[in-house]
Amino acid sequence: MDTLTPYEVEEKVLDEIVGKYKGSPGVLLSTLEAVQEANPLKFLPQKTLLQVAKKLNVPATQVYSVATFYSFFNLKPQGKHTIVVCRGTACHTKGSRELLNSVGQILGFRYEFDETEPSYTTPDNEFTIRTVACFGQCAQAPVVAVDGVIHSNVNAPKLLKILKKVKSSSYAKNQSK
Amino acid sequence: MQVIIDNKPYEVQEGMTIEQACMQAGIRIPTLCNLKDVSSNASCGICVVEVKGAKSLLRSCITKVTDGMEITTNNARILRARKMNVELLLANHPLDCQTCERNQRCELQQITYEFGIDQRRLPRTRPKQLERDYSSLSLIRDPEKCILCGRCVAVCKEVQTVSAIDFAGRGQKSKISTFMDMGLGMVDCTNCGQCALVCPTGAIIEKSHVSQIWEAIHDPKKVVVVQTAPAIRVGIGEEMGMPMGSLVTGKMVAGLRRLGFSKVFDTNFTADLTIIEEGNELISRIQNNGTLPMITSCSPGWIKFIEHFFPKSLPHLSTCKSPQQMFGAIAKTYYAEQAGIDPRDMVVVSVMPCTAKKYEAKRPEMDGAFDYWKKKMKLTAEDRFFDVDYVLTTRELGRMFKEVGIDFKSLPTEDFDNPLGTSTGAAVIFGATGGVMEAALRTAYEILTGDTLKDVNLKAVRGMDGIREADININGTILKVAVAHTLKNARILLEQIENGTSPYAFIEVMSCPGGCLGGGGQPIPTNTEIRMKRAESIYEEDSHKFIRKSHENPEIKYLYDNFLKKPLGALSHDLLHTKYVERKM
Ligand code: SF4
Ligand code: SF4
Ligand code: SF4
Ligand code: FES
Repeated sequence: MDTLTPYEVEEKVLDEIVGKYKGSPGVLLSTLEAVQEANPLKFLPQKTLLQVAKKLNVPATQVYSVATFYSFFNLKPQGKHTIVVCRGTACHTKGSRELLNSVGQILGFRYEFDETEPSYTTPDNEFTIRTVACFGQCAQAPVVAVDGVIHSNVNAPKLLKILKKVKSSSYAKNQSK
Repeated sequence: MQVIIDNKPYEVQEGMTIEQACMQAGIRIPTLCNLKDVSSNASCGICVVEVKGAKSLLRSCITKVTDGMEITTNNARILRARKMNVELLLANHPLDCQTCERNQRCELQQITYEFGIDQRRLPRTRPKQLERDYSSLSLIRDPEKCILCGRCVAVCKEVQTVSAIDFAGRGQKSKISTFMDMGLGMVDCTNCGQCALVCPTGAIIEKSHVSQIWEAIHDPKKVVVVQTAPAIRVGIGEEMGMPMGSLVTGKMVAGLRRLGFSKVFDTNFTADLTIIEEGNELISRIQNNGTLPMITSCSPGWIKFIEHFFPKSLPHLSTCKSPQQMFGAIAKTYYAEQAGIDPRDMVVVSVMPCTAKKYEAKRPEMDGAFDYWKKKMKLTAEDRFFDVDYVLTTRELGRMFKEVGIDFKSLPTEDFDNPLGTSTGAAVIFGATGGVMEAALRTAYEILTGDTLKDVNLKAVRGMDGIREADININGTILKVAVAHTLKNARILLEQIENGTSPYAFIEVMSCPGGCLGGGGQPIPTNTEIRMKRAESIYEEDSHKFIRKSHENPEIKYLYDNFLKKPLGALSHDLLHTKYVERKM
């Protein structure tokens, strides 16, 4: 599934991280966190999970269990830029769903809106699109956050402008988290 | 100490849970997630009771009794809470009982009925329809039927130390899954089926071969022969409503004949054959400085376990195929030749207490008979057939009996067909942990010493302790042996081997608790008490056998004289021995 992305943390780096946390309480959690942080695409590929399991001598399934339990772990590559579309009630009535579909059109993929899918990343790893239950900025609906910066009263043309700016990378680059 | 349950005083032991104390007082508290000796994660909340002084209801499955505790098990608040907890489970559960494998043996169904729940009241909360997992050759998982009780996770982790499955996701997206949702067939699952045995619902079931078998039986061109593992004769009675551990060898044979099998044979025959091959292999390893300890190889879950987790130790495995596979290879060569049957028209069905046997039968190397005939009959790749075609669990066989209305209890007792139905007491004890060891020693002792064994009952290797050991005195040399059941205990013995501290010459490993009689294909429930009863019946059958040593089986002698020629010979090598591979996930 994720085979197209070659980004995996090097064995050497992995060993350093494992060495750092070995024996400490919550070792699996801290290791996974550090390993994800070390990955340029901020995610935990399958191979990395298996390596961590092996090095910490815990079952791979347990590693997977932890990685899927905490929402801050990503099992899919995260784009350089993150677009979060609010799916709260206010945003919904002001057309956040159409907005999501527009994001798809703008970025050149078919975004079948599916409530169960937490995120989608474009094949070129430029953008990750996610939804959030509510930003709490309902007065300015619909709300979209791009690389952590909140934009209010967004419509498709406005979003297009923002994304163009982002892509030309003069804008809030790598403002991660 | 004393507790009050529903206004009556009872004497109870310290350390008991409320649930156990109530059971002793004759009140069965409903439970779903809790399972004795397996799981106590207290997630379902079905077992709640009221305790004086406690604000909220308490989970009786994990709360220990204290002196003077006043317990109420029946009032409006308790019943309402229990019912609500079941209704919450049903919100995400398909109401598919008629088409469900677990229909009528499902704990969720039973509790729903007992609680008088007559409709689905609460809306579904799980966002996604979860897909079934058909990737395994042995098991099917249906996460939609899963109630997240955690029993399977506990058994796989604690009893088997495999951890092929675990909880994944959280909240409404929680489910039981494999690594990366790859599917049971793609990960390090051993196919032991212990998860299926403990699951309270139909969320893990065996992959059924029943319809293919009916088709073969009803096909006039096919000769369908059946073999039954030693543990079936102490399990199938339960499936047909008889007391636990009922010994029903003769009825089972009669029933199989009524299903329409051409010949009813016995895996015990090839259990005897296994002993001859394996006993000679052990002797040859001892005499020629071969790899020791040698470990038995009859349990396919165990084989997959060592292939995944301890590949360095593979040379310790006996190269003998399991009795199931030896049977298939012998039936489609020796017997086919004798009876004048085209091996392509022969269908070999096994009845096994085991889900891993379904996988074993489909290992690509298990086509020795095809290889045997290939040149002689000028067969092409298209003709290729496996030694064993289909594998039924004890539960599936029970269903076939019921489907055609066989009144099992009133069946007469009948004998197995010859020649592949003749066996000794040494073969029947293969069904219990320690049995292969005992059977092998009965033979190896006599070959090595030339003496007759005074007492064939080697009690030291019997019983239910996780690991048992014995010293066998052979002409003054002490042969140290060990027996382990469950993969957790097997792991301990393997770790000894890998760190160079194993003192043994010969080790028996069975994947399932109690050995095959507690296998993943046996009737549900299977618990400690039931396993003991089945073991008693196994040893009873052995004690009544006229011949109790494999090397004295006359049909085995005939087989060697007229076909195989000698143990570990060229033909044995082709048909009865195998290789193993390192497996990665
Ligand atoms: S798991 Fe139990 S309750 Fe669910 S459909 Fe099957 S029999 Fe019915
Ligand atoms: S079959 Fe055995 S190894 Fe596989 S998941 Fe079930 S309990 Fe675990
Ligand atoms: S699969 Fe069965 S045993 Fe496992 S958690 Fe679900 S209901 Fe429980
Ligand atoms: S049986 Fe006690 S919480 Fe499930």
